[in-house]
Amino acid sequence: MDYLVAVLLPQLLHGLVFGAALGLLALGLTVIFGLLGVMNFAHGELYMLGAYAGIAVVGVTHSFWVALILAPLLVAALGAVTEIATLRPIYRREPLYGLILTFGLALVFREGARQIWGGDMRRILPPVTGSTPLLGMTYPNYRLFLLGASSVLLLAIWLFFTRTRAGILVRAAVQDAEMLDGLGVNVPRLFTLTFAGSAALAALAGLLLAPVFTVYPQMGVEMILLAFIVVILGGMGSMGGSVVAAFAIGTAQSLFSLWMNPQRVAIAIFGIMIVVLIARPRGFFGREGVLE
Amino acid sequence: MSRVVTWRALVAFGALAALPALPFVSKYYLLLAFDALLFGAIAMSLDLLMGYTGLVSFGHAAFYGLGAYATAILLERGVLSVWACLGAALVVVGLYAAVVSYFATARRGIYFALLTLIFAEVVYTFFRYTQTFGGSDGIQGLPDALLWRGVPIDTPLRKYYLVLVYLTVAYAICRVVVTSHFGRVLVAIRENEDRARFLGYSVQRYKMAACMISALLTGTAGAIYPIRSAFATPDLMLWTESGEFIISVMIGGLGTLAGPILGGAFFTILRDKVSSFVDWYFIVIGVVLVLIVLFMPKGLLRWRQAA
Repeated sequence: MDYLVAVLLPQLLHGLVFGAALGLLALGLTVIFGLLGVMNFAHGELYMLGAYAGIAVVGVTHSFWVALILAPLLVAALGAVTEIATLRPIYRREPLYGLILTFGLALVFREGARQIWGGDMRRILPPVTGSTPLLGMTYPNYRLFLLGASSVLLLAIWLFFTRTRAGILVRAAVQDAEMLDGLGVNVPRLFTLTFAGSAALAALAGLLLAPVFTVYPQMGVEMILLAFIVVILGGMGSMGGSVVAAFAIGTAQSLFSLWMNPQRVAIAIFGIMIVVLIARPRGFFGREGVLE
Repeated sequence: MSRVVTWRALVAFGALAALPALPFVSKYYLLLAFDALLFGAIAMSLDLLMGYTGLVSFGHAAFYGLGAYATAILLERGVLSVWACLGAALVVVGLYAAVVSYFATARRGIYFALLTLIFAEVVYTFFRYTQTFGGSDGIQGLPDALLWRGVPIDTPLRKYYLVLVYLTVAYAICRVVVTSHFGRVLVAIRENEDRARFLGYSVQRYKMAACMISALLTGTAGAIYPIRSAFATPDLMLWTESGEFIISVMIGGLGTLAGPILGGAFFTILRDKVSSFVDWYFIVIGVVLVLIVLFMPKGLLRWRQAA
């Protein structure tokens, strides 16, 4: 019982917190994939830029809350410009080109951040301090806020995709962009806005996790692999699947690290991924035959 | 056609063999040429998969790194023969590649890419965190390898000729493979996998064989690398390294063999030259990559339409 409260429960919560943030990242990735057919290698860098933009805004305004609104907007603007300038011309090409293009973009963003902010580790102080007694243990307030904020956000995104006209248009475009174009919807603009929105989500995840993790130019490289794993597990292009898989991977990673050292955890996660890819490549909720 | 290709290849390799005789080619340039040709050879091996079979491997860095570690471990323990190093690398890479290709070729498209990527990440994580093989520092300060008793591969000139001989042999192997019946089946699989299967070809076996050839050639290149650099680090296996191999193939042009050699050499020289002028060379490389995708999708050699 003591073990449960003192060790297992906090670790489980850590996992949920991490899973929620990972979900924000994976959701953007899967929507971009479903819509543009591009595995966005630069997504990890948008996540990283979110954290740095947050640091920059906090430096000017001294408010985490302002940063929480401004930083995603800045990164969304960058995403929109990037999409129009580089991805729009290659819509009709093989997925391979999108992969290589975004790999190049990732290099530019990563090195750009290192040039502007330097290569050393940075931290953001959590805007909420202290901890709360919860189920017989104490848990840091910021992590609770993180869990709450991410969950509310995920819920809002779900409502957006099911209840608003814009969200339904995006889902329609995932189904059949050409038909939507024929119906008179400005599909390129829809693509750009979706990419910008996904960039904002990645940035938000980066900034929300910044007080818990450290901020450095390479931070997106490890995260993007995990996000890819989540997207595959959930089924390419399935939004609900991505969120479920994000929570699953988040808690699995967190719980594994109770019993294993970090590299074994990484290998175990990769192992799960290999088994899923071999046995059920469409993931938990994916449609059959997507991109096979 | 094939006679023209042979002549061109002979002239090109002859020119490369004569390169060290030029007066302005210093030791620095010889070692740069070593890197360029080695990278080119790897890109060419990857082209067998990407350009001819239509499979994008995001895990070639693991074949490369395993080959490098095989050599490094032997040299560190005093086994100095190049042939022993190459043999060990072929065995190690062959075993690993057999497992990866067996599972990865069961899946197509982006799933193949991701399976190779994840397998490679497992290998990377293992070497990165296992202290037996030096952890993140890898194995450093290796002695010179011996071609045979009393002939160490110690000067840049000897190293250069080692990689040139390797590249020539690898090119010959690739050329034979793609012009053979086997190679044509690979192209058929790239163009229409289902039709190849209906024609009675065991598609997965062909894909596995292509993977094995490509992996072994890459592993051999990896085994040669520590002979020049005197180290092997886990960074050789990082997935961004695999990305650089893919970039080289794309720069050169898919499905041309010679193109990726040029692409790999171009990429290596670009990285070296730009990095000696500015420290933000990754931005330059990234921009070059974006521009190539946007404006030159068929690569430097516009021989045939990209896949």
